[in-house]
Formats: sequence, C-alpha cells, structure tokens
Amino acid sequence: MASEDEINLLVIVVDVNPIWWGQQAQRDPQFTLSKCMDAVMVMGNAHMAMARTNKLAVIASHCQGSHFLYPSKSWSGEDGGGNDVSSSGDGKYELLSAANNLIVEEIRNIMSKIEVTGNSTDTLLAGSLAKALCYIHRLTKELEVGQEIKSRILVVKAAEDCALQYMNFMNVIFAAQKQNILIDACVLDSDSGLLQQACDITGGLYMKIPQKVALAQYLLWVFLPDSEQRSQLVLPPPAHVDYRAACFCHRNLIEIGYVCSVCLSIFCNFSPICTTCETAFKIQLPQIVKPKKKKLKQPM
Amino acid sequence: MDEEPERAKRWEGGYERTWEVLKEDESGSLKATVEEILYQSKRKRVIESHGQVRLGMMRHVYVVIDCSRSMEDQDLKPNRLTSTLKLMEVFVDEYFDQNPISQVGIITTKNKRAEKLTDLAGNPKKHITALKKAVDTVCVGEPSLYNSLNLAIQTLKHMPGHTSREILIILSSLTTCDPANIYELIKTLKSLKVRVSVIGLSAEVRVCTVLTRETGGSYHVILDESHFKELLMLHIKPPPASSSSECSLIRMGFPQHTIASVTDQDAKPSFSMSHLDSSSGPGLSLGGYLCPQCHATYTELPVECKVCGLTLVSAPHLARSFHHLFPLQAFVESPVENLQGDRFCQACQAELKDKSVSG
Repeated sequence: MASEDEINLLVIVVDVNPIWWGQQAQRDPQFTLSKCMDAVMVMGNAHMAMARTNKLAVIASHCQGSHFLYPSKSWSGEDGGGNDVSSSGDGKYELLSAANNLIVEEIRNIMSKIEVTGNSTDTLLAGSLAKALCYIHRLTKELEVGQEIKSRILVVKAAEDCALQYMNFMNVIFAAQKQNILIDACVLDSDSGLLQQACDITGGLYMKIPQKVALAQYLLWVFLPDSEQRSQLVLPPPAHVDYRAACFCHRNLIEIGYVCSVCLSIFCNFSPICTTCETAFKIQLPQIVKPKKKKLKQPM
Repeated sequence: MDEEPERAKRWEGGYERTWEVLKEDESGSLKATVEEILYQSKRKRVIESHGQVRLGMMRHVYVVIDCSRSMEDQDLKPNRLTSTLKLMEVFVDEYFDQNPISQVGIITTKNKRAEKLTDLAGNPKKHITALKKAVDTVCVGEPSLYNSLNLAIQTLKHMPGHTSREILIILSSLTTCDPANIYELIKTLKSLKVRVSVIGLSAEVRVCTVLTRETGGSYHVILDESHFKELLMLHIKPPPASSSSECSLIRMGFPQHTIASVTDQDAKPSFSMSHLDSSSGPGLSLGGYLCPQCHATYTELPVECKVCGLTLVSAPHLARSFHHLFPLQAFVESPVENLQGDRFCQACQAELKDKSVSG
C-alpha cells in the first residue's frame, strides 16, 4: 500500500490538432474530439478517486501552442471558484465535477478562439511535454518536508510525428529520464517512433489502440495503474523500438553509416564535405606500394 | 627556460578584506548571502562557456590516481584514498552519461611504478567494480609521474586522430620519482597532442604547472571535498578540440534490438560477445543487439564489435551529445516590475514572486 504521504501526480497531454480531428470526424462520426475528451475525463476522475493524495493536470497540445486545461489560472483553488460552478446536484464528489466542468469550458474556449494560421499543421508535442515537466518540477519544489511525489505523463496522440521536433523531443526525454518521470503513450492512429523511444528510455508503456471507440477502456485498463502496481499485472508486451538512426541526406533508416566527428551528423554514403558543419574530411588514400624491380634474365 | 606568465603569488599581494563581502540579513544568518555568491559564480561559469568552438566529442581519457603514502592522510574523511575513489565512481557515472561514445581508463601509481587498473573501455561497470576493489590497496612509496604518463601514452598514441586524447592526474604527493628527464616526456606529449590536466590534493608543484601549461590542460589544487567534486565535474564537459585534430567520417553501425521469447520457434540462444572474457558463467541469451556487419550478439551499447571492429551505437547516444554542441543561451534577468499584465508563469501556472525574472 502506498504510504499516506506519497503524492501521485498524473499529467495527461491530449493532442487536439484541429486538422486531424476535423478529418477524423468526417471519417468516423462515432469517435470525435468530444468522445475523446469524455474518455480523458473518465481517466482523470478515476485517477483522482484512487487515493486522496492523487493529483491531476491536463494539457491540450495544439498546432499553435499548448494550454493547460486543468488546473487553469482562472480557478483559484479548491475552496474558491464559487458554488455555482461545482454543485452538480447528483452527489458527485465536488472535486471531480469541478475538474470536469473546467476541462470542458477550457477546451471549448481553445477550439473556438484559436485559428490556424501559418503553414505548420503539426502538433507542438515537445513544447507541451516541456510544460508538463515544468509543472511537475514546480510541484516537487512546493512539497513539504517528508512528502514524496511520484509523477508520470500520459500522452494521447492523434496526428503524425513531426520530424523537425526531434532535438526538442530528445531533450525532453533525457530530462524526464533524469527526474525519474515515466512517459506513457496511447496512440490512436499511426505509430510514432519518437514516442516509442520516449517510452523505452523512461520506462513507460507504449500502446497503439486497435479500436478508437474503446479509448476509455484502454486508458483505464492499461494506463491507470502506476509503476509499482504495473509489476504485478500482465500488460501488453513492449513494442519493438527501432533505434536505427535516420541519415541526414535522405531521411532513410540505416544500419551502417558514417558519422562526422565534429557535429555528429549521420550520412549513408561517404562524402568529402559534411553538409551540416562544412568541414572537409581527410580521405584515407590506399598506400601505394612500389613494385620491386625484378632482375631481368639475360638471354643466353 | 620557458617564459612564465607574470602572475603574482598570493602572499605577494596586499591584504584582501574578504570579510566585507558577507552581509547578514535581519535574522543574523549568512545563508542568503552565501547562496547568492554560489549562484553568481555558477552563472558566471555558464556565461563564460565558449560559443562556436569545435568540441572534442569522442574522448579517450586516462585517469591517473596517486596511491602513494601521502594518500593515507586523513584531511579528507576517512582518508584521501577512499574519498578519491568514491568521487571517481561518481565521475565515471556522470562521464558516461554526458559522453556516451567516449572511453575511460584508470592507472594507479605507487612505489615508483605505475600499473593499469582498467583498460580503455566504454562500459562503466568494469571501472566501477575495479574502483570498489581498489579501496583495499596499501598506499606505500612514492608516485612516479614519468612512468604513469609513459604507460598512458603507449595506448593513447595508437588512437585515431579525430578523437581527443586526455590524461587527468590526481596527485597528492609533493614529490615524484622519475627514471628519466620528464621535460623530454613533456615534449613527446605535445607532439602526440595529448592534453594533461592535474588536480592537486596538497599544494602546487612546479613540474605539474609546466606540464599542464605546455600540453594545454588545467591545473587546480583542491580546498576541500566539495571543491574536489566540483573540479572533477569540470572535466566532464567536452573540451575545445585542438586545432590539429583531424576531422573524419567514422563508420558506425546502428544495431537492431531483437527481443525473442522462448515460445518463438525461430529463436536461437546465442552467447553475448561482451561476456566472453568475464568469468560469470555462460551468458546465453535469446535476444540482444546484432552487429549489422557480422551478426555478433551484444547485450549493451555502445560497444566496439570484437569480431569485425565496427563501433556500435544507438541514435539516442548520439543525441545525448548534441546538447554540448547546441548549448542554451544564457537567460537574461529582467526585474519583475517591467512585466505588463498578469504576473503569471506560462509554463507552470505559478505566480511570479521573485525579484527578477529570467527569460
């Protein structure tokens, strides 16, 4: 049993890329963004109901930025907020209903107010993960003496990976590894190599859901137990992570490559100049062996 | 013989009123001023770090630990040797964390001789077991700088040109017993482009000053144990590469990780090549990393394939070293009164209470 003083913090990062969700609503009207948010709220409520000291935070990851859905700055605390917001009349635990109402209101604000400008349609996932890490760090510093906190991040991913965020993503992964923060990933559509690496390095769980409609089921079955309880459950086996590097010239995955010793960029073929740092390489010339002079046989 | 820089020794300077720096706060405690001083010195170090300088990312470092009689001195608790070995374990861990594609070797010197504790290797476990066993060694005799440097050079001179060759000496004795002229050896070190740094535990020794100045390393003498740790950690960051190091393309392999379970029909158990020389029983395993060239199995990366000589790494190892190449810019502090609007942190949703805000 967890001790009374241990706080379990779960940060859920939801991918709300409006372009992907718009296309998804046309493909399959049964599973839309509102159904996904319902499943996320069920997961959040379940987590908070598991123990009194459990904490929750929800971040929406958009292509224009990332926003905290819960707790948000307009909510001053558990006792503030006013009775009109939280009274639900059906005897539900006040904290859970307040959280649900807040999340619904914030996501409605975000989706209606933000317009997609510019050419980038990729979700800014690395930035949202960085904000999650900042929030966890702040809560860790605000602890009283004797309290411990264990945190994990759950990413619900919809759209595809963005290769431009590779460096930021790797930095976030190494930071989470240092702080012993698990990153779990629940992928709705296409496999994401970056999240597979994140889950492998930090020790979390990666799962691609076969049926999107059953999102709440998968979230509660696989991702609700925390790391201590996971050792006693039989969970889906770890995915095969492809750790091969992609070459900088063609973006193909290669098994054997050439690495520049100055800037560590990877190439699939030998080239005399590195394209990233423009250093000229020393080419190893094969040694020229002088042929030995043979004594000519004098004709008899 | 060689021109020494004009630098006044400490006793030649006038009196410094070092007590004026500290100021008490209203409750009479010095904690706030001490923390402020430490914080400012940390920030200065960060800001001073060079901008666009080529760094030596693949490093071969030999650490020479002095095991002479002066290491039994108890000014570092419990004695200098135990304290040094404990800090070395921390050093080895941090070093492989920040430089995953580099290698470290350890040499000890005592009784006028030098011997290798561990060979140059990229695996931290071997070094840590050797360091733990070395706590029982008897400290006797005098160290020999010449012999230890010679021993290190014999391996380092065969290393390829694009790697950086470094030697870090932890010297506690004030004497050294050398069989030949050490200044000749310093010339050899310079020609081989080896950078030697020294951390002194007792006092400044002139031959070390000359050694580090000629080879381009750094020489520090410790004040106490926390200063010792700080000086060791300074050597973890990759040093600026010397202008004569060659840049070349290094051929590396990126192996796939195969996980097979016993119920798979195709799964064949194989010996891991990395455990061939260890005596801990047969290392049969079902999965592992397969070298792309010769299909030898290894349990851990990074490693150099014993069969075909290919260096095997995984992409996150290279990504680990990127943050040295693209460092964060130093934050600029601005006072909180200049902020318009809500005093609110975008990232963690907390109110901004400090006097100055970095960004």
